[in-house]
Amino acid sequence: MATALAVSPTRMELMKLRKRLGLAQRGHDLLEEKMDALVIEFFEVFRKIQESRTKALEQLSIAHSTLSNCFAVMGTLETVQAARETKRELQIEISSRYLMGISIPAVEFGDVQRNALTRGYSLHMTSSVLDEAAREFERALGLLVELAETEAVAFAIARELEKTKRRVNALEYILIPRLKGALKFIVMRLDEMERENFTRLKRIKAIIEEHK
Amino acid sequence: MSFKIAVIGDKDTTTGMALAGATYAHVHAAKDETLAKLNEFLTSDEIGLIFVTHRVAEELGFEFRQMMRAKRLLPLVLRIPDKTRYVPKVDELQETIKRTVGAEIVVKKEGE
Amino acid sequence: MNADRLIKFELARLNAHLPERRISLKEALSLTRPQLPTRDGGVHSFKRKELELLAKLLPEADWEKLQLPIFIALEPKLGRGAAKVRGEIEAKVAAKLLGKETAGELLIYRPEVALLRRKIPTTTQYLFVW
Repeated sequence: MATALAVSPTRMELMKLRKRLGLAQRGHDLLEEKMDALVIEFFEVFRKIQESRTKALEQLSIAHSTLSNCFAVMGTLETVQAARETKRELQIEISSRYLMGISIPAVEFGDVQRNALTRGYSLHMTSSVLDEAAREFERALGLLVELAETEAVAFAIARELEKTKRRVNALEYILIPRLKGALKFIVMRLDEMERENFTRLKRIKAIIEEHK
Repeated sequence: MSFKIAVIGDKDTTTGMALAGATYAHVHAAKDETLAKLNEFLTSDEIGLIFVTHRVAEELGFEFRQMMRAKRLLPLVLRIPDKTRYVPKVDELQETIKRTVGAEIVVKKEGE
Repeated sequence: MNADRLIKFELARLNAHLPERRISLKEALSLTRPQLPTRDGGVHSFKRKELELLAKLLPEADWEKLQLPIFIALEPKLGRGAAKVRGEIEAKVAAKLLGKETAGELLIYRPEVALLRRKIPTTTQYLFVW
């Protein structure tokens, strides 16, 4: 539970505490707004993921079918050999974008699609089913790269959302109650001391009157 | 910055991805060996994206999840189904949503 | 006092993603790569198709007046769930996208914020105000 802060009951402290409480409340309200904005962004990305996933996984499935076909027609060993001979230097460009304090990756890639002549395996020992399998996998790869980017964005937003929620809760349930408690304590003590002072002054006055 | 692609999975997946241009491929056989390879891929400056099949990820179990939690932004790691289309019951994204938003969300396709 | 420093740090971070300055729609359309440097040292790019969408919604005379990115201002004073689109032309074009009427500044609510962000994600930005 919120434990009291140890403070000395002075006007200076009162002022300082009021400032700290103001800061904490401002921080809380703004971080809450940030949380809400992150939720909006998260759901938008999530929606994109659903679409992206369906498309990519469907295409991957197609690709696997054509590959199985290739294994059957051309032979497993020959297919694997052809895969080894293929030019495998596909590059993707990854850069960082910033969204509300979060670093998210932006992924772009050059043309994934190639043709039988440019892939690198010898046409002599291979058949058109191989070209088909390669083409379907190239298509799948393109969609999967997009999916990877979208998922990375979603996880980055989710992480920041969790962090922000923790901060909002810490302010709301720990710091602000503590500051309010300390404030109350000081006000009470200052009032008390004021009253004690007042009573003391009255007594001094009475004594002075007596001696006149 | 430019990066290459790596894939870890069964023979079909690695062959297919290689045909599409993925540079590094590892066919999973033994857990320790694959974990070492995954670590190699994760620490390589060249690799920007690693595909791992769901089956292999599950087999690698706790160590895999740990590596995913500990890793930096890059390389990106995406889990994909292999030819058996196997997808684990627990969807990490759904779990993340439950945690952050506190509710289970099911997105309906337009028109449903 | 550590808590205070943390709060100030988080507040400073809130608007770090914003571009250092804004440009008009007209200027953005003229650039081959419409982008702006951001406060935290990055680069923010506008998608061309969004610029073209905005251009279609406004008379050419207004292209110079529309400042990008359009700010969706989040102010605790407005209450949770409410946001403001500031600027006369900005409010006008946002209202058009949302199918609403407007006079001057535009006050919008969460679902409208989501819709605006979905339609023009790179030409809008959140602005935290306190």
